[in-house]
Amino acid sequence: MMIQLFNVCKSFGPKNPAIVDIGLKIEKGEFVFITGPSGAGKSTLLKIIFCSEKPTSGNALVNGINLNRIRERELAFLRRKIGIVFQDFKLLPNRNVFNNVALCLEIAGVQYSIIRKKVHQTLRHLGLAKKERYYPPQLSGGEQQRVAIARAIINNPLILLADEPTGNLDPDLTMEIMAVLREINERGTTVLVATHSQELLKNTGKRIVTLNKGRIVK
Amino acid sequence: MKTAFVKYFFRQALTNIADNRMVHLVGIGTIAIAFLIFISFILVYVNINHWTDELGKSLTMSIYFKGRPQSIEVEEIKKELINIQGVTIDKFVSKEEAMEVLAKELGDKAGLLSGLHENPLPASLEIIFSIADREDSLPYSIKSKLEKMDIIDEVQYSQEWTRKIKAIMGGIKLIGSILGGLLFLATLFIITNTIKLTVFARKNEIEILRLVGATNLFIKTPFLIEGSIQGLLGGLAALMILFAAYMTVIIRADFRIGFATLDIVFISPFLTVFLLLMSVIVGFAGSSIALGRFFRT
Repeated sequence: MMIQLFNVCKSFGPKNPAIVDIGLKIEKGEFVFITGPSGAGKSTLLKIIFCSEKPTSGNALVNGINLNRIRERELAFLRRKIGIVFQDFKLLPNRNVFNNVALCLEIAGVQYSIIRKKVHQTLRHLGLAKKERYYPPQLSGGEQQRVAIARAIINNPLILLADEPTGNLDPDLTMEIMAVLREINERGTTVLVATHSQELLKNTGKRIVTLNKGRIVK
Repeated sequence: MKTAFVKYFFRQALTNIADNRMVHLVGIGTIAIAFLIFISFILVYVNINHWTDELGKSLTMSIYFKGRPQSIEVEEIKKELINIQGVTIDKFVSKEEAMEVLAKELGDKAGLLSGLHENPLPASLEIIFSIADREDSLPYSIKSKLEKMDIIDEVQYSQEWTRKIKAIMGGIKLIGSILGGLLFLATLFIITNTIKLTVFARKNEIEILRLVGATNLFIKTPFLIEGSIQGLLGGLAALMILFAAYMTVIIRADFRIGFATLDIVFISPFLTVFLLLMSVIVGFAGSSIALGRFFRT
């Protein structure tokens, strides 16, 4: 089991629960959509799995590691196995596309010759080969989204979390990004996509978890 | 540590310095000033130490006679001294000879001496001690014995000068230590705040690095290198300024105590390396404090 959530609750203040009593199991290599209206708790759920938020109560296990008991150093190493695409991209504005994508490999101490090869390959795959030397502010929203995806997948992660990965894209690009995510999944990565787009969920044939007011409703 | 990491850390540190060059320039300048004050004190200390050492090497005693001593009286004292182990009689200087030496030392100003009605210089007997331990009490016992004799006016022992200078040096050492401590804290404070500024300017970057799996050590190391470089450059600038000042002073000045010329020495290469190392340590410590505060919050 790749992800296990047991009665997980998260609240930001006593009258502000974000997610309530969530129980969820996701197998290795699964592709799961988390959906629901705005404020349903989709992003909070991803943040808990990514351990950028701690549950108020309950337990979350990722790749067998209990996130309530994880140490600082272990967390860093776990995050290297999780690729994440943030809703606001979280790219470094003072580093060009190449260096933004190379970051995850630099952290892992990968040799520069290998970094160069892998980054070129990934950027070409995502149609960003000509934008390597551009800085994030010089790119469109869709291009920034693809850079964020490139950064998330460059390490061949065990899990890929994507928060509204097609939110800024036109229908053609949306299909392309979804194809990339499916391809990653086919290579064995567990993929979780949070989206409010009902269009995206049509005929996917994948598992869909629906949240509403912080609870799983379907 | 992997070479890929080392390259990354140094590249990041240098990029950080280049990106915040004004903040770093002000920081380095301030560190250089603080460090300059500190090492100037060290230079003064090193030189006084050098002078006392030089003076201490020649442990001489000058025995000044009242009036014009009879040669038999001088011979008696000589006989008494020559039997003491570690004592060598250097020479007897008569009143006339003393005047000749003074005239020679005054050079073209020797004419001033012709106005004197009588020779005011005393006759003296110069003796040299070869004593392994400079704190040996022998010269002092000889001195007090000689001073009791009627024909002796005054006895001067060179070690007394070095003792007095050493007492002054103790004071300088104390002031230097207090000042050094204060300047150390000031330098630490400057570096801490400079690094804190750059850390806060990169708050988002640090957050992203954490999210993509960087360890705290990975995030901190470029900042620690940055602080160390800042300390090193500040220290280097201070040493260069001091060396330039030293070169200017030794070319132009002629330091004397009485008729003895004092040569000025610069801080030894070993001490220079030690001071540079210290500036790096201060830089490193300043960064650690800044990062510690940031990572706690």
